[in-house]
Amino acid sequence: MTIDATYLLQLTLNGITLGLIYALIAVGLSLIFGVMEIINFAHGELLMLGAFAMAFALPVMGLLYWPALATAILAVMMVGWVIYELLLVRLRPDEFERSILVTLGLSIIIIHVMQYVFTATPRLVDTQYGFEGVEIGAIRITWTRVIGAAASLAAFGGLYAVLRHTQFGRAMRAIAQNREAALMVGIRPKVVARNAMVLAAGLCGLAGAAIAPIQLVTPYMGQFLIFKAFALVIIGGLGNIPGAIVAAVGLGLIENWIGGFFEIAWQEASVFVIMIVVLFVRPDGLFKRGGMRIG
Amino acid sequence: MSAILQVSDLRKSYAGVHALDGVSFAVEAGSVTGLIGPNGSGKSTAIDCISGFQRLDGGKVALAGADITGRPAHHIARAGLMRTFQTVRIYDRLSLRDNLAIAAQQFDPATWVDEFLRTRRYRDAVDAAEARARTLVELIGLQRYYEAEVGILSYGQKKLVALAAALMPHPKIVLLDEPVAGVNPSRIREIEVALRQLNQAGETFLIVEHNVEFITNLCHQVIVLDQGRKLAEGTAADIHTDSRVLEAYLGMTPEMAEAEMRGAA
Amino acid sequence: MKLAALTAALVAALAVAALPLLTTSNYIIGIGVSALIFTVAAAALNLIYGFTGLLSFAQLGFWGIGGYASALTVVTFGGSFWWGLVWAALINAVIALAVGYPTLRTNRHAFVIVTLTFALLVTLIARDWVDLTRGPLGIPNLPPPQAFGHRFDTTGQFYWIAWAFAVAMLGFLYALCSSRIGRTLVAIKQNEPLVRAQGISPMPYKLASFALSAAITGAAGGVYSFHLGIIDPLFLDFYYMQTFLIIVIIGGAGSFWGVIVSGIALSALPEALRFSADFRMIIYGVILVVAMFVMPSGVAGWLRERKIARLRRSLGEALR
Repeated sequence: MTIDATYLLQLTLNGITLGLIYALIAVGLSLIFGVMEIINFAHGELLMLGAFAMAFALPVMGLLYWPALATAILAVMMVGWVIYELLLVRLRPDEFERSILVTLGLSIIIIHVMQYVFTATPRLVDTQYGFEGVEIGAIRITWTRVIGAAASLAAFGGLYAVLRHTQFGRAMRAIAQNREAALMVGIRPKVVARNAMVLAAGLCGLAGAAIAPIQLVTPYMGQFLIFKAFALVIIGGLGNIPGAIVAAVGLGLIENWIGGFFEIAWQEASVFVIMIVVLFVRPDGLFKRGGMRIG
Repeated sequence: MSAILQVSDLRKSYAGVHALDGVSFAVEAGSVTGLIGPNGSGKSTAIDCISGFQRLDGGKVALAGADITGRPAHHIARAGLMRTFQTVRIYDRLSLRDNLAIAAQQFDPATWVDEFLRTRRYRDAVDAAEARARTLVELIGLQRYYEAEVGILSYGQKKLVALAAALMPHPKIVLLDEPVAGVNPSRIREIEVALRQLNQAGETFLIVEHNVEFITNLCHQVIVLDQGRKLAEGTAADIHTDSRVLEAYLGMTPEMAEAEMRGAA
Repeated sequence: MKLAALTAALVAALAVAALPLLTTSNYIIGIGVSALIFTVAAAALNLIYGFTGLLSFAQLGFWGIGGYASALTVVTFGGSFWWGLVWAALINAVIALAVGYPTLRTNRHAFVIVTLTFALLVTLIARDWVDLTRGPLGIPNLPPPQAFGHRFDTTGQFYWIAWAFAVAMLGFLYALCSSRIGRTLVAIKQNEPLVRAQGISPMPYKLASFALSAAITGAAGGVYSFHLGIIDPLFLDFYYMQTFLIIVIIGGAGSFWGVIVSGIALSALPEALRFSADFRMIIYGVILVVAMFVMPSGVAGWLRERKIARLRRSLGEALR
């Protein structure tokens, strides 16, 4: 098997873009876990809703990418807010299994409502950029992928700024690091939790909206991605945001490298095996369990 | 009387803090020994390390002459060292009878085969545990609740249940981690009386407590820790007048303490 | 008291056995078979989740491995249906020990995620390892079980196999849950540090619980695959895991009889509610969410709370 440099580079770039999408999901999950200590099983559905929102917003906005993206993100943030106020606010931090079951139920409801209303037919989403892309030497990347990756990086940059420099970000980190101490200092956990949820939903919405033009949109699309994201959150260290990003990009790269050089059928299975092995060897994550360490 | 529990040069640090910095003491069989000290002195860490719930960085622990250093918690319990917890631990949704039965379970020779076949060995073990349970339940005055779920009991009653459970397997020594913390005063007397009766029947206790009056009333021997080191050791009376103890606890010298008491008179 | 309860259970079991004598509808008998098998799988989940306190999504994986193991035993290796069940149980027990040992030493978060990943891995293997599992086409035309020259080739006769299987498995689980071992599992769930302080090492108990639950779930999968007559990757649809979970949660995690009653009732219910598949799933989801807030310990737990409240009141009055 000769390794073609351009092929490898193409795979790597695809891997990074995929990894950034995983990272958006994983960071959101990590944020929610850090602040509320629950795992949100419905997180993949937030992504799916973002993709559907994008699919409906684009035609309305004349296929303009950015307004549609913004709409999709806002829509999902609102959904996240509603989910928090109706359900998650009633969960206590030590009810790990209960939170899984509640969000699992929510996930089932969302998927099947979407399927009932919109059917499972996959949808193709078109944007103003169509299939045009940029060519760097022998490598071709579509604009939608480039923008998706850029938007993700911008989102992470923004998140970093928020967590480091704003009151609201510091409050989230405080709760994640030491809940009792944060409470004593007067930080209100419900407000922080709600904000974290909305923020995480926004990240997911962005991921969904960014993926929509790249792959087919179906009610089940979130499911495939979310299970890997769970493992990523643990591997990266629960609540550790940079860790989650590193693990996510790593996964995207590994998936594309394996898929590029071996049979596509083994790609997913081997990825799962790798994740299980990592969890055995380092159950607390490859990196330290974060109190949302930023740097 | 010989030492049933001997600890030498215990060392434990985390995050750069020396929780235990070379602590050594012995507990005589049949005694009630107190372990006191201001917050952060290392009392609870000592209990956790001795009972196997935390790893020691250095030092040795011997139970009735046998070395139990570094063994897992359940081994140490089986060797005869039982303990209670600061925040009371019982099986909230099981009956008092089941709580006590489980505490004795690991110490009888019956296996699951014996249970399945209802052999003599199994039935004898169950009867013996039942008899012991009834004795202890009477001593702590909770006969009425024998079949009830212990979750309905008050905090102080739960502490008594935890004490009884620790005594079920005829242990060599019981370590009590703040047995009266958070308990109302009338109940404290009950616990004190129960402990004294048990001690008179031959049980050995090492008690970690903040409640100095409780310790003074009950303990033959008191060990004082401060900042991970043993500060003083002696009878309760000795400790009360020890200048180092007064300074560590109250930040006073004996003269100041006397002046305080004269002022209050 | 206990004798009366067991007699009642025996009578109920015999009544359930009579189903094929009361109707000739294969459809209804088929529902009965599903009810029996799903109840066994749910009871196995109850063992690891309700009694031992470990939420395991791996059950779906064991169910699937059991189905495939039985099918392959008969179709590829020429063994009998009965041997298929034995292999289904043994293979899953071994896998559970191999996966369980490293995972149980970690924390509860990792346990849940690893079991979930495991189940998904099994799904992928069923779909992609075509040489072994024949891929998406699956293995059709599974022959009816045979014993002493007799073929159990009607639904009614298969029902009795499922019935005998259910009685055996549930009987075993009952004996286990009411023994000291069962009591220790409950103790581990409620207060693990205390268990250790009482001289008991929790690990062997957790492993045993995980392995037994895997073996039973695998055998149940084996029986079900022959009921369907075909095994394919759809056998590993998350729908089954959701069904088992809902049965356990509604019945009451940790309640032996609660889960059994819930299993029988909930298996019959979806058939009675002839809604579209999506609508049925939506109802499942709603039940799950609502139950978690209103009745987290299921119906059995709710009944128990009322009993405790009455006990408390009567004790409170007696003290005056």
